[in-house]
Amino acid sequence: MDTYQIKDLMVPISEYATVSEGATLFEAYLALEKAQEEYDHNKYRHRAVLVLDQHGNVIGKVGQLDVLRALEPNNANYELFEDIRKYNFSAQFIIHLREKYQMQAEPLTDICRKAGQVKVEDLMITPTEDEFINIDTSLNTAIHQLVRGSHMSLLVTENNEIVGILRLTDVFAAIFHTMKECEI
Amino acid sequence: MNALEKLFTRIVQRININLREQEFDAGPYVWDLIPKSQMTKFYAFYGISPDHPLNLQFRHSGLAGSYFLGKIQVTNSLLYKTDVRGDELKKKDDHFQFGKFEIPVSKDEEIVIEDSAFVKTLIHNYSHDPETLEKFFIKDTISTHYANIHGSPSDGCFLGPFSTVDLTTMRDSVIGTFSYVQAGEISHLNVDPGTVWVNSPHSFNFLYRFPLEKLKKYIHFEAGKQPEGILMDFVEDRKQDFQRVFDVVNIDPPANIPATASLDRYAVVNSVVEIGENVLVSQRAYLENSVLGKGANAQENCFIINSWLEGNNVTAHGAKIIEADMGADVFVGFNSFLRGQADSRLTIGSECIVMPHTIIDITAPLTVPPGHLIWGLIQNKDDLKTNSMPLSELAAVETAFFRGSMFFEGSGSDFVSAFKGRIHHILEANGAFYNKDANTGQGHAQRNQNMSFNTIQPYPRGDQEGLFPTILIQP
Repeated sequence: MDTYQIKDLMVPISEYATVSEGATLFEAYLALEKAQEEYDHNKYRHRAVLVLDQHGNVIGKVGQLDVLRALEPNNANYELFEDIRKYNFSAQFIIHLREKYQMQAEPLTDICRKAGQVKVEDLMITPTEDEFINIDTSLNTAIHQLVRGSHMSLLVTENNEIVGILRLTDVFAAIFHTMKECEI
Repeated sequence: MNALEKLFTRIVQRININLREQEFDAGPYVWDLIPKSQMTKFYAFYGISPDHPLNLQFRHSGLAGSYFLGKIQVTNSLLYKTDVRGDELKKKDDHFQFGKFEIPVSKDEEIVIEDSAFVKTLIHNYSHDPETLEKFFIKDTISTHYANIHGSPSDGCFLGPFSTVDLTTMRDSVIGTFSYVQAGEISHLNVDPGTVWVNSPHSFNFLYRFPLEKLKKYIHFEAGKQPEGILMDFVEDRKQDFQRVFDVVNIDPPANIPATASLDRYAVVNSVVEIGENVLVSQRAYLENSVLGKGANAQENCFIINSWLEGNNVTAHGAKIIEADMGADVFVGFNSFLRGQADSRLTIGSECIVMPHTIIDITAPLTVPPGHLIWGLIQNKDDLKTNSMPLSELAAVETAFFRGSMFFEGSGSDFVSAFKGRIHHILEANGAFYNKDANTGQGHAQRNQNMSFNTIQPYPRGDQEGLFPTILIQP
């Protein structure tokens, strides 16, 4: 793995999908589509959008799960399911309960209205300290950070600025490539 | 700041340290709850009888208006009008069954209270924790008005008003107002107000949560204020009646008490009350114009008013029954509030189980058919449909069941069996099945007749005002 470095595997920030603070969910989708068209099609497709403040600093990330969560028919029920989880109900029971409640509501209702009204700040996840990594760090350390935090990507920094995104999928591809070259 | 205030400050600090992860500050909730000036006003008292082992040890503690029975140590604690009943503690050479383990008890069990404060709380039963069979510990814990700590060792916990923790070891947890928890073991948990949770891991899980806006009318507790609501008003309105029985040294019992029944001298009996064979009425119970049939019981802080109990009725700690007719073998759980009206009576059929912390408050007559499970908040017939079900229907549930705000997972059959078994055990322990001809099946109703009471007093003035001197009471 020593042959790979973070800077070789990361997606440069300039090629990543970004939107400004205040953008709607629909604008985030358009940014994602544009980045996918412009980016090298042989590589893995983008799955998330970064949210930038007025100075261009990354303040959050919107992933696929965050979008689906925002579009769920009734967030009050979502909170109920999360809330009763602490009382030792099984995951299977929560799924069963969720299905029962979802049968009472039309899934993904109002998708157009929500896409035009929901702001990215309302659904973005703010990166935690362990989601940043310096560009000179070894790939082994980066893998450990991805695994330990169950992250889909890390924000790569250089001189205190974000310069790229190290995605789990690119790291996995590199590992897989190394494996294939082993003489087993 | 005198010694009592210093002690209270230190207790609050201990609880806050234990609950720091949850950023819970007990101070604003409890600072005015324990009336410091009242700590000299009331004596403490204890029971002695040939049937209960005796070892009471009090050190650096305030005990105003509190009652003790059995083997109990209290150190660095403040108890205000709290009952600590050690009449069901395990004895040396008993065996405790826990899962596949049959564990010998190496010495008599004791209740050990340290660095804690309680307001009008009931502490009873025995430790169900297999890791601490001989020591029912309660430390760094604060509980507020009419809470029940029942068979539940506790370390670093806060219990809101009218909450109950039952057969559960708890650590670093907050139990919300009017919540009931029976879950074996909990740790670092914040139980929301109005939660009724009965969990037997790998067997069943029952959860009901009160609508908080509606519960507020009955009981509400916020920092800096006394608990408020119908439940508090109901109890406070009858406080003077208890004052009378505590002020008088010798009280003549009513003439019509059967020899097999027990009416505690610290219970209030107003108007005509009929008490059947094998009935147990505990201290701080309140009876008015009611009939308690054979084997019925009224435990601590119960109120039974203008009601008729057929027989073998369990009215658990803190339950209230008003203008109601209860069939035989009805169980009413902890702190339940069942209120009919003179012209709109509540009728509950035989062998019903009223879950702990149930509120039935009606303005039109309501009848619950026999053999039902009842839970939550019921104010009319529609509520009854969503908050009850036949026990036979629940027993058929094998995986999951939802109704209204009730969630159930697991074996309904196990749940029903567990409850019925426990109800039988409570009746047995209380002496409901006593046979006077064969002199078999003695329980609290028969043993409590051989009880005398002594009183102890705190320092009336000075730096130690409100605290009791070190006192050892042994055979």
